[in-house]
This record gives sequence, C-alpha cells and structure tokens, in this order.
Amino acid sequence: MSRVMVVAGKEVRQLIKSRNVMLSAFIFVVVFGIFTGPAVLSGTGEPEQVMDTLGFYLVLTMGVFMGYLFTAQVFLREKQAGVIETLLCAPLSLRELWLGKVLGVTIPGALLTYFSAILIMNAGSVFTGYTLIPSLPVLFHIIVVVPAFIAAASGLMGFAQFILGMRENQILNFVIIFGIIFLISFTREVIGPAFSVTWAVVGAAFGLALLILLVTAFLTRFLSRERIVTTLPE
Amino acid sequence: MLDGLTFSVDEGEVFGYLGPNGSGKTTTMRVLLGLLSPTSGTATVLDADLSKDDEMRKRVGVLMENNGLYDRLTARENLEYYARLYDVSRPVDRVAELLDFVGLTDRGSDMFGNFSTGMKRKLGIARAILHEPEIVFLDEPTSGLDPEAQHMVRELILRLSHEGSMTVFLNSHNLDEVQRVCSRVAILHQGRIRALDSIQHLTSAGRKTGFSITLADPAQAGEAEGILSSLGGIGELTRNDNVLGMVLATTPAHEVIAALVKNGILLEEARIQKRSLEEIYLDVMRQAEGGVT
Repeated sequence: MSRVMVVAGKEVRQLIKSRNVMLSAFIFVVVFGIFTGPAVLSGTGEPEQVMDTLGFYLVLTMGVFMGYLFTAQVFLREKQAGVIETLLCAPLSLRELWLGKVLGVTIPGALLTYFSAILIMNAGSVFTGYTLIPSLPVLFHIIVVVPAFIAAASGLMGFAQFILGMRENQILNFVIIFGIIFLISFTREVIGPAFSVTWAVVGAAFGLALLILLVTAFLTRFLSRERIVTTLPE
Repeated sequence: MLDGLTFSVDEGEVFGYLGPNGSGKTTTMRVLLGLLSPTSGTATVLDADLSKDDEMRKRVGVLMENNGLYDRLTARENLEYYARLYDVSRPVDRVAELLDFVGLTDRGSDMFGNFSTGMKRKLGIARAILHEPEIVFLDEPTSGLDPEAQHMVRELILRLSHEGSMTVFLNSHNLDEVQRVCSRVAILHQGRIRALDSIQHLTSAGRKTGFSITLADPAQAGEAEGILSSLGGIGELTRNDNVLGMVLATTPAHEVIAALVKNGILLEEARIQKRSLEEIYLDVMRQAEGGVT
C-alpha cells in the first residue's frame, strides 16, 4: 500500500471515530437535506429545474462544508496537538502527507455529500409530489465534480493550515465559515431563477475544481518542514 | 538559538544532551532531524542530511515531547499506522512484539487517549523503535512521569542500548536519569556546549577529589586529625564524630590511608567522593553565567 493510501486510511478511520465531528456533519446534512430542499422548492420555476439548481449549488456547498469540517480535524488538529512533528520525521514527503490527508477528507466528505443529495432529492419529491430525478449534468456534478471540489477545498485549506500559525488559522477559519454561510444564503439570489445547469456549466465547475487542486498541488513544492515546525503552537 | 555547536555521537552509545529549559536542546534535535536548517554549518545523522533524504529517515527513530500518537486510535492501530509508513515487514507481528516489549499487550485494543501518561510514553517509545532504527532521538522521555514510570522508561532505554545495540540521543534536564543511562554527555547553555565528555571522566576528573575516612574508634579522631594535618597535599579537613572529610589536592588516597594505619589508627571505611553529575552541571551553569564556582 502506498504511503499516501496509508495516511488516507488513517485519516478516514480517525474521522469515523470522531463522534462529535461526524455528528455535526450528519446533523448538517440531515437539516439541510430535509428542510432546505422543500423550502427552496416552494419557490418559482419548474420543480425539475429548481431541483437541478439545488443539486448544483446546495450539494456543492454541502460538500465544501464537509471539506472544511474534516480538514480542520485532519490538518489543523494534528498541528495543534503537535503530532505533526513526529510525522515530519517519517520517511514521507510533504506532498505525500498532504495528498493522503486530502484523500482522507474527500472520501468521507463525498460519501456524506451523496447522502445529502439523496435526502434533498427525496425530500423534494415528497414535498412536490413528483419523482424528481436530476439531469445527467447534475448527476455528473454530484458524483464527480463535488468530490473534486471537496478535494480542492480541503487541499487549499490544508495547505494554508500547514503554513500558517494558529492565530492566522483562526482568522482563516472565521473567513471560511462566513464564506460558506454567504454561499448558502445568497447563491440562489445571485444565480437567479433563469439559471439552468448545463454540461458547459458543470464542465466549467469541474475545470475550476481541477485548477484549484493542481495549483495547490504545485504550491506544495514550496511547503517545508521548517515552515510547519516554526508555526507549531508553543 | 544555537551557537557554534560541534559534537559527534559514537555508534551504540547513549549520549545525554543536557541543559536548562530554553537552552536549545530541542532545537538541536530539530536541526539534526532535518526539521530546521542551520544558518551555517552542517548537521548529519548516519552521514546523511535528513532534510534532504526522506528514505534515510527509515534508519532514525524519534520521540519528541509529544508522543506522536492519536488519541482516537487504539494502541495497536497507532503502531500499525507507523509500521506501514516505515515499510516494516510483517507489521502486525512487529506491533505485537513491541506491545509485549513495553508491557502493553493486554491494552493493545484500548484507545490511546485513555492511557495514563506513563503508558503513553512507553507506547511512544515503542513507536519510535518499531522500525528498528540505528539511532533513536528521545526528547525528555521521562518528563511528567511518576518515579515508577520513570524507572520503567530508563530500563527501556538501557535495554535498547544493550540488547538492541541502538545509538540513543537523549535530550533531558533530568540529571539523575542521564547519569544512570548515559555514557557520554554534552551540557548546553544558551545555545553553546559548555562541557562534553564521558560521565566517568567528568565525575572523577574534577579539580578536587573529595575523600572521607570513617574511624573504627571515635576516640582516635583527634589523633587521626593531627596526623592528617601534618601531611601535605590535603585541604579542607573536617571532623564529624568518627568521620574525617578532606579534599585531596596532591596526596593520593592510598598514602593517606597508609599514614593512618602506620600510626595505629583503626579504619572502618575509606571512600573517594566522586562529584555527582548534578554538581558538575551546576558548576558548568555557574561558569557559563560568569559566577564563581
């Protein structure tokens, strides 16, 4: 087994055992899955179109939130606890470590996001009385693009958490959590009722996720053990 | 901040790296482990610069102040994780062997977070040596432990050195611990090495050798004191009941004993008082701070 998969496996196992984090994630998924779906479906537009829009931005937002929640556990907590210093002495490159952690966040994040998508669709179907099945571009978006965004968000946040001190990380967390709340609250208004999810839109989103991931992967070349060690809390 | 450090550690020795808090012990370890870069000079371990060679890290074990283990994983899961990172062959067997080595076999399925401080430290040591490194760095391995746990950890360190032929670099400010387990020490103060020698040499080669004689008959104390006073090369003569204390400047101990026996003084015990590592350490600290020793 490659070291990347060893790290990823450990992160997944540890996240599953983190009852508080998993409970927070589960509550978030259930609350938004069940209650937000019907609430938004009560708005204007054809149910299928509204469902597609929801499947596009709400599932994406949930995925990014999962990424945020799990990244803090996987990257930041290890740094706060000082365990990272021992890992830095292991025969493991920083890129392998980073990638293993990103995978460790993406796998459970994607699974929970799929679950949230199923909840949204079912809640929407029950609420509208139609059997709502997302369009193919939206299905592709949920199955492929959202995990790519989780990985991109986790990679970028994890990279920042590696190189920043604890105080800067607190500020960063504050900004991110408000960013997510903003996304949830205002995206629907910003994209408007005429918005429809096409292959072009999904393709552009996928491209953006890959771009973020690739740029962050490139940036990991500039990570150094010294930078991580000198930003550990005393 | 470190300043002009030069030292080497021999293969198979237990090397003590002593110094007060903030003297640069952990920083030295970080530089040696390739976690920090020296502003000048080089730091090599097993002839390699660890900051440039990830694979060389397989030959090095590390126990930092933090045990490097995860509260939410069991003892076994923690060790198996590191065993796989270090490409240990038959990781499950090796982990079982190490749990037995540190006496935690029956706690292998317990969460690490539920362990006592002593058990955590022991598991930390097991983690540090599970890939059978050639050298192991231990940073304050007995810090925060109760006396019994300290004893257990010291025994473990000695076993590593004697049975495993492992080189041990021991960072500590526990002088008793260092004196018990180390063969050679460096004493650090404000980033500079102030003393570097074997413990044997440091404790016996001081400027003054303390010597005490216990007389079998307390009534002979006055006479013995007179004989000693007439001998040259003896200083700081003290008398406490039937015990005479002195500092041997130039006269060797056997000449002192011979002089007393020749004059019919009955001796019960004669003892050269070696300086303890603590005395040496405090002397070095005073000297470093410009005080009088």
